[in-house]
Amino acid sequence: MSLDAPLDLLKLNLDEKIYVKLRGARELSGILQAFDSHCNIVLSDAIETKYELVDGELKSTERNSEMLFVRGDSVTLITTEE
Amino acid sequence: MSSTVSTDFLSSIIGRPVSVKLHSGMLYQGKLESIDGFMNVALSNATEHYENSNNGLLHKYPNEVFVRGTQVLYISEI
Repeated sequence: MSLDAPLDLLKLNLDEKIYVKLRGARELSGILQAFDSHCNIVLSDAIETKYELVDGELKSTERNSEMLFVRGDSVTLITTEE
Repeated sequence: MSSTVSTDFLSSIIGRPVSVKLHSGMLYQGKLESIDGFMNVALSNATEHYENSNNGLLHKYPNEVFVRGTQVLYISEI
């Protein structure tokens, strides 16, 4: 599959489950409802996972939200769920 | 649009295996599917490493990956 613009990849995945990597060891997964060229995105049925080291051990905490608006600033990577 | 050495380079490496380093130190290697003027990048068969590919594989992405241009430090052909 070859697309002429990287953002076409997002257009192709509207209404699909996507995985988003954010700055600061955070991840999101959810259904892509909307996006723009700043990578502002709206996810439904979103799960936020935060990773942190607690006494040298990797801990992850999850949070669910029905609808989530993510500011494009913190987005580093987007792909579809495997 | 005027053509420059830098835009020529970016368009010449489409379809080639590349390394993309982010400000965070994360390194992504894969086939460059597309790139735009904001340095947004799409990679296929991407692998994730920290700083250096010798540091071991952190993740393998089976599906195409979008990397946001503002996070990109550099792009180089492997």
